[in-house]
Amino acid sequence: MSLYFNSDHEMFRQTIRRFVEREINPFVEQWEHERCFPGHALFKKLGELGALGVSYPEAYGGAGLDYWYNVVLAEEVGRADCGGVPMAILVHTDMATPALAEFGSDELRQRFLAPAIRGELIAAVAISEPDAGSDVASIRTRAVRDGDEYVINGSKMWITNGTQADFITLLARTSDEAGFKGMSLIIVPTNTPGFHVSKKLEKLGNHSSDTALLAFDDLRVPIANRIGEEGQGFGLQMQQFQKERLIGSVSAVAGMEKIVAMTINYCRERQTFGKALIENQYIHFRLAELLSEIEALRQLNYHCTRLLIAGHDITKEVSMAKLKAGRLVREVADSCLQFHGGMGYVEEYPLARYFRDSRLLSIGGGADEIMLGIIAKYAGMIGKRR
Amino acid sequence: MHAVVCVKQVPEQNSVKITADKQINSDGINPIINLFDEYAIEEALQWAEKNDGQVTVISLGSDDATDSLKKALAMGANEAVLINDPALEHVDSQSAAKVVAAAIKKLDNVNIVFCGKQSTDDETGQFGPALARFLGWPQLTYVFKVHELSETSIVVDRALEDTLETVEASLPVVVTAVKDLNEPRYPSLLKIRKVSKQPIPTWSLGDLGLGGSDVAGNVQVADRVPPPARPSGEMISGNVQTQVSSLVQKLVENQIL
Repeated sequence: MSLYFNSDHEMFRQTIRRFVEREINPFVEQWEHERCFPGHALFKKLGELGALGVSYPEAYGGAGLDYWYNVVLAEEVGRADCGGVPMAILVHTDMATPALAEFGSDELRQRFLAPAIRGELIAAVAISEPDAGSDVASIRTRAVRDGDEYVINGSKMWITNGTQADFITLLARTSDEAGFKGMSLIIVPTNTPGFHVSKKLEKLGNHSSDTALLAFDDLRVPIANRIGEEGQGFGLQMQQFQKERLIGSVSAVAGMEKIVAMTINYCRERQTFGKALIENQYIHFRLAELLSEIEALRQLNYHCTRLLIAGHDITKEVSMAKLKAGRLVREVADSCLQFHGGMGYVEEYPLARYFRDSRLLSIGGGADEIMLGIIAKYAGMIGKRR
Repeated sequence: MHAVVCVKQVPEQNSVKITADKQINSDGINPIINLFDEYAIEEALQWAEKNDGQVTVISLGSDDATDSLKKALAMGANEAVLINDPALEHVDSQSAAKVVAAAIKKLDNVNIVFCGKQSTDDETGQFGPALARFLGWPQLTYVFKVHELSETSIVVDRALEDTLETVEASLPVVVTAVKDLNEPRYPSLLKIRKVSKQPIPTWSLGDLGLGGSDVAGNVQVADRVPPPARPSGEMISGNVQTQVSSLVQKLVENQIL
């Protein structure tokens, strides 16, 4: 029995595992080929299962449960046969909606969070811009007050769910203050005049997930669509990022575990020079090494979850987890592909897709270099001493 | 209509260890509802929903088996009963059927019992037929479709080795389910939470009017060893032409082509 998961968590795990096997995996090839998945149909089914608001307040249709349920969800969707669909789901549940759930007004949560939990609306989060990626302080999209409305102009880049989303959690400048100050998080419905999907982006991997360049052209939303106070957006987004990074790392562990298990099986079956590949010491040592690192990362993720639930700031620990996850998935993908030989390089086998999809983790949600900077700051190497 | 479903908790994978006293050690392996029993639960639920009936799930096992009963409740079953008694620790299929039959009689007014055609751990396939015998009811085994089910009768298709058979029977009856009888539902989080605190009554042998001598069993496992490892495949060497002709020859020799 796990130290962290009780029988209810495990029952929820079985539900999500079955859902992935039945409602996602059989369609992955088609969705990868089509460069999109049917978000509204899939999210509706997940909403009916109660999977989209496991730790959100019951008043908005959530289950009000502990964050270990989010971990279970991320682990199980992370075992899907692709990276794109899990990413789309987790963007909705743990990256685009945490700030809304925690700091949004009651009316805003009724309008957007409740239908998002039911799976009727798809959420996306829009932070990066063509000239400002992990360097969030450099964003230029502006929301200017005009009466009781904000008028928004600018563009956002690399937006997961960007072509399908019904609302965007947008970080925009609401004052002329430079740097981290003067930003606000604003909910933008995508059916508002002035919202444009400028381009659906072709990517190296995660093909089943839609990623877009978005434009906001004199787009007007009520000031009541702002989450929290004006000027607090950067801080709220930084809090939201911690869950994004944790859940990305959790999901990565599940994917890595599955790929290594698949590789062990392959190496047991595959005969070369009269013996199974797995009997080569280099191969079983390397796989054992990867399993050890995966387990270490899992325990760091669980440590972060415990700290999060206890109300601690997890910025340092989760940045370490995200950094480690981004690098470890690349090692796992590379070694496992290598051990599959030619089979690892062809599309008939899942390794090629995993190799492509896993590369994103060192870039999205704050690049490795941003994580290193945060860790260095928290360790007192640079910036103000903490 | 009151349907009972017999549910067995089994290890998720077959990679169990065998202990020195020839018992199965599934420590560390996730316990799940026996695959075939899930189809039985789903079928019972579907017909109970149509007929405004109720479903009771019964499991015979240790306290851990409540996890499977709770899952069945989360799927939609109304009630659950666990039969747990130290004398049942290594019970054989016949004795298990005798005990469950006593529980079904104790429940009273049961019209139909669904169970899986076999369990994925012991795989004896005896439980359903033995249960029908102890109840004195007809048995419909290997059912892959239920056409009609009313308070008094049932019409099903049975999948036999070379034949598909349509059978009508009067109730009460025992039905054993095969794979793909339906598509078992997955419980929603709302239902998982709802049943989380639902108490599950536990019945001992004494509660059923039975004693240790009733479950002594006639079958003793004399030995239990893992199956021999599957031999590795044969690699055909040579250039492509040689490989293809050699492969075709082997397929012909083995009467595959």
